[in-house]
Amino acid sequence: MATAVVRNVIAERRIVIVCRLVLFALLLAGWEFYGRFVSDVWSSRPSLILARLWTWAGDGLLLHIATTLTEMACGLLIGAPVGTLLGLVLGRLPVVAGLVRPIIFGLYSIPLVTLAPLLIFWFGLDLAPKVILVSIVTFFLLFFTTFAGVQTIDRELIENYRLLGASRSEVIRKMIAPACLAWILSGLKIALPYSLISATVGEMLLARAGVGFLLMYASQQIDITGMLSALTVLMVIGVTIGEAANKLERRIMRWRLLVA
Amino acid sequence: MANGQELLKLEGVSKAFERDSGAIMALAPTDLSVEREEFVALVGPSGCGKSTILNMVAGLLRPSEGRLTYDGRPVDDLNLRVGYMTQRDTLLPWRNAGDNIGSPLELSAHKTSKSERDEKIHRMIELVGLQGFEKHYPGELSGGMRRRVALARMLIYNPETLLMDEPFGALDAQLKLVMHDEIQRIVGIGRKTVLFVTHDLAEAIALADRVVVFSGRPGRVKTVREIDLPRPRDVFRIRFAPRFTELHEELWDHLQDEVNRD
Repeated sequence: MATAVVRNVIAERRIVIVCRLVLFALLLAGWEFYGRFVSDVWSSRPSLILARLWTWAGDGLLLHIATTLTEMACGLLIGAPVGTLLGLVLGRLPVVAGLVRPIIFGLYSIPLVTLAPLLIFWFGLDLAPKVILVSIVTFFLLFFTTFAGVQTIDRELIENYRLLGASRSEVIRKMIAPACLAWILSGLKIALPYSLISATVGEMLLARAGVGFLLMYASQQIDITGMLSALTVLMVIGVTIGEAANKLERRIMRWRLLVA
Repeated sequence: MANGQELLKLEGVSKAFERDSGAIMALAPTDLSVEREEFVALVGPSGCGKSTILNMVAGLLRPSEGRLTYDGRPVDDLNLRVGYMTQRDTLLPWRNAGDNIGSPLELSAHKTSKSERDEKIHRMIELVGLQGFEKHYPGELSGGMRRRVALARMLIYNPETLLMDEPFGALDAQLKLVMHDEIQRIVGIGRKTVLFVTHDLAEAIALADRVVVFSGRPGRVKTVREIDLPRPRDVFRIRFAPRFTELHEELWDHLQDEVNRD
């Protein structure tokens, strides 16, 4: 009985996957058909995009991808820890938090990617302004989720831990930080796609490399195939990051299960 | 057993909480003194300020008026000489039973080497009868086991005074008796001073040297009774002793009015 049910579930999953692939292939085929027999001026077509990606691959595509990924990684490595740390500390200092809250909310009310032009003026054309943009965006995301996480911790738990002999910094390091881990991981999960957005927006504005630069360059040439090729690359990066975020999510779930 | 030295003293201690609707009196001016190695049970209806007293002794709250001294000195900061076992579960859910028990020894106040810590954890696990459950997380333990972990965690750093706020309130009757037996044994061995809050009168009489009955809202001391049952006590059978019944009836008379009023 039970094995039959399991077998059914697996079979159903297989059918879903096959249907998805068929649907995807049909869409691509339709696009290709339209481009080949009607017009490919404004819509290009999959075979042209594939060919372009092949050309690019021999001509520095990896460098562009590496540039974007480097900006994301560096930005995350700066923004996420700083945001987490400040969230933990301010979460425990309600008076200071009250003081700086209007400043933080004011800054956060700016659509952050619009800081890009200013950052380019300040920090130049290369990696620096994009890294800083990504770190600002991820800083805020991690700060807010961590800060919210700290607020959910029961005062009684903290007081009890203090009575067991914990100093103020030990309360943060050994009790609040691990208790907020699920929140911090959720913040990271949101920050991953945002890091891609901010890195590419920065590149589109002014850059010498990066997938956003490829996209912008193609658009300046009114090169539809080039633009769609760059978007395809972004999609692949985005999907990969989404998968990483889902893995993170599953870890969060396991953690929650353990804690509950 | 008390040894005549005064350890804890409340003189006219009261506590009012500020609320939007005005101040709420939780504890009317109260005098109470506890001797070293004495086991004092505080009994009364809910909301009579029993837990407030424990919080003040722990230094988590300040008295609104009056003077509260511990070992001759006013309590004006966290009182790290007490261990506090609250009604609620305060174990760290991401650490297993053994690590939870050992957690106080990882803190700067009781810093202990890893080998010594492991040895003490091992001893505590045996003391509270949790052999084989060291690696289990709190979420995988029963309510009674979690209470034992909390008890062991409180005892491992050897505080001289134990504050217990309805520590076994959520346990079933049989398990409660087992825990009483353990508490009595441990307190006897460790020569601890205990302030034990409960609303279970039988529990108070079975364990304590002295029972303080509180009246409700605002809390005030209604009566204080020495419990002259000989020690060591057999907590499983003491309920059937004639002297226990007498004390229970006498104190119940005081408590009944309060419970009915609630």
